[in-house]
Amino acid sequence: MFQAMGAHGPTLSPLTSVLLDVVLLGCAFWLLAKPTKRPIFDSLFMLTLVLSVSLIRVVMQPIPNVQPVTVAALLVGAQLGARRGAAFAVLVAMISNIFMGDGWWTVFQAAGWASIAIAGSRLSLVTSTGFNLGRACMASIVAAFWFDLIVSFSILDGTIGFTEFIVYLGHGLPFDFLHMIGNLTFAIWMGGWFTRLLEEDPSLEEIEFAVVNGHGIDG
Amino acid sequence: MFRRLMALLFASLFLVPAILAEAPSTPWEETHSFSWEYNFETGFISTSPLFTGEQLLVRTSGHAEPSVTAFDLSGAKIWEHTNPESTNNDMSPLLHVPAGQGQCGSWPEMVLVGWTSGLVEALNPSDGELLWSTQSEVVGWGVTGELALDGAFVMIPTRQGIGQYCLADGQQQWWTETGLGWRNGVAVDETGYFMGDEAGQLWHINRTGAATSHALQLGKIRHAPLFTDAGILIHAQADSGSTIGIFNSTNATLTQQFPAGFSPAIPVLQGEYIVTGDSSNMRMLHCSSVCVVLDEIPFHTNGEIGWFDNGQIFAPSNLPDSNWGFFTFDDENNLTYSSIEVGLHGYGTASPIQFSDGVTTFTAFGNDQAILRVYSNFEENTTLSTSNLDLGAQLLLFGMFVLLGFSSAFLLNGKREWFLRTSSLFALVLVVLLLPDLSSQWSKSFDEQFSEPASPEEWNEQWPDAWLGTQIIIFEIDGKEYSAGGFVGHTDVLSLTQVACEALDFELSGESTELGWYIDSINGIEGKGWEFSVDGSKGIISVDQSMVFSTSIVRWTPV
Repeated sequence: MFQAMGAHGPTLSPLTSVLLDVVLLGCAFWLLAKPTKRPIFDSLFMLTLVLSVSLIRVVMQPIPNVQPVTVAALLVGAQLGARRGAAFAVLVAMISNIFMGDGWWTVFQAAGWASIAIAGSRLSLVTSTGFNLGRACMASIVAAFWFDLIVSFSILDGTIGFTEFIVYLGHGLPFDFLHMIGNLTFAIWMGGWFTRLLEEDPSLEEIEFAVVNGHGIDG
Repeated sequence: MFRRLMALLFASLFLVPAILAEAPSTPWEETHSFSWEYNFETGFISTSPLFTGEQLLVRTSGHAEPSVTAFDLSGAKIWEHTNPESTNNDMSPLLHVPAGQGQCGSWPEMVLVGWTSGLVEALNPSDGELLWSTQSEVVGWGVTGELALDGAFVMIPTRQGIGQYCLADGQQQWWTETGLGWRNGVAVDETGYFMGDEAGQLWHINRTGAATSHALQLGKIRHAPLFTDAGILIHAQADSGSTIGIFNSTNATLTQQFPAGFSPAIPVLQGEYIVTGDSSNMRMLHCSSVCVVLDEIPFHTNGEIGWFDNGQIFAPSNLPDSNWGFFTFDDENNLTYSSIEVGLHGYGTASPIQFSDGVTTFTAFGNDQAILRVYSNFEENTTLSTSNLDLGAQLLLFGMFVLLGFSSAFLLNGKREWFLRTSSLFALVLVVLLLPDLSSQWSKSFDEQFSEPASPEEWNEQWPDAWLGTQIIIFEIDGKEYSAGGFVGHTDVLSLTQVACEALDFELSGESTELGWYIDSINGIEGKGWEFSVDGSKGIISVDQSMVFSTSIVRWTPV
């Protein structure tokens, strides 16, 4: 399965690489398809979102560990729910890594961002009064360290001991700190705008249902 | 009230550059201008040039025909003397001997050259003519330490001993075995000679050649011991750092020890003051009845230190793309540092030399790129502007000031959201700019605190004895191991890899990133990348930040 063990974890054989991509893609489609089939505009919107955030990630690659995807995953999870948030995270990880380098670590990046999107859907970052900046800032700080921890597991290839792994994590702390500051900056600058962008206008059926339901209650 | 205080705090950050601002140039740069340079193309300048009164002599070695080259003060090459038999890095300093006479006869003015092939030659400084030569012992290597004069004799530290030779004709008077030595310079006092060895023993040899040793157990002794009023000063190198020790030769005890950084430089003495250096600090000590550290300042130097009569101290920074360190020591015991730009960047271990022709003072610099650059002083009223305006950096700085100013203004006006925006952006830019240095320092400190024992690389019996006690590198290519060794003085994996690739004629390609150097391919093999280990420990930070020790074995493996 693995061709070699390296500093970035095991190196995958071409076949394993393809299989892994298929599995990831399958997960993303499964997450998107359930529980109800989405209208075409929803899918187009999601596609645009994924491509845009992937592009931003690729463009920002020269700045080490400043990861706009982390905050985006958090907010997509908060606004569109856990399923679509996780699918968004998996697709962004896959597409951006086509340009930045695909490998074993893609799985961990996808898992890291998907878990952040799920957390975002549970944290009430957007309430009836709007975007909760304070809570989003706290979440983005924790998300930075969480994501870096998850991705760090990708170096465990059987040759690295516990102490060595702790030392590896310790070396990365300045980069975790930068990730945290980057997340804070994105949340503060883009958080409000991005959540409004993701806000779903209710469909005609939903409006009708609400009105009828309201009348029912009134009656 | 709180907002105003916070705004004041933010605004006070404007003053930080004023506090941290360095003078646009050092006093030395303001009074010196570039005079001439000579590019030897290949090899290293590993030891200080020598001025003999009319000629400037420079020795080069390593992947080039080892030689001593003489220049006049205008930079014209006068003569060159080579020793093709010397195949390793020659680092024994050149020694100028004035004309004189003694027990063995008389001798003219000459320059003594000790080679790693064991040969010691006496050259006429005016034309390079060989006056005499003598062959000393070779155990893998020959002469690597500093020779010393003692009346009519020259004391030659060989690989595993010390010999007394006549200055008149190079005849050996006696030779005594000591321990295996490396850069084992000799110090002379009224009782005889002192020198150290790789086992950490300090040897005393009397004038008839009888030797006694003291096991100091501080680490390898790679410089000529220094005589101070407090005792003999040694800066010994160990795998976990280094120790400055003061040894009382009367009662054979170590009276003082000062912990110091990795890979010590060769300490220098002036009167009661001593300057030491290592991979962490430059340090000024004062030794009268006891030694005290007066001041220390962060700097990375591992070779020779130049301390001139005018009080100026120069040290090469042995790092990639680094500049030279210029230090002064004031009456209040403060050691001050500034970086000087002499057009030579990167690894270096050779001290510069300062000399005068009676009218002009020259300073000559040489480093591992085998380029010699000579500067001369000039009147202050002809000072040239040395400020180089970096537009990008200035714009960035301006932008950061704007962000800081807006942050303060928004805070005062109660615009919370915009305050958060500007201040977070300011913090992000600041951390991005600080990250390379921050992560480098953090990794070093982290390694020093938590370095874990690894299963070290083992000595390969097929390797030549000359590699014993030196730095070795192994490349695994297509299931075969290619080794190169006998390297010294390298403090990081990048430097060692570069020199090993040159020795094996491997093409090395890499790129400098914000996080340090990344090796792309070795000998044309890119694969999926390369990884390295140092003494069995897997490298987890960039090659230029990964330290190697004097006897480290580095292994490169394709992923």
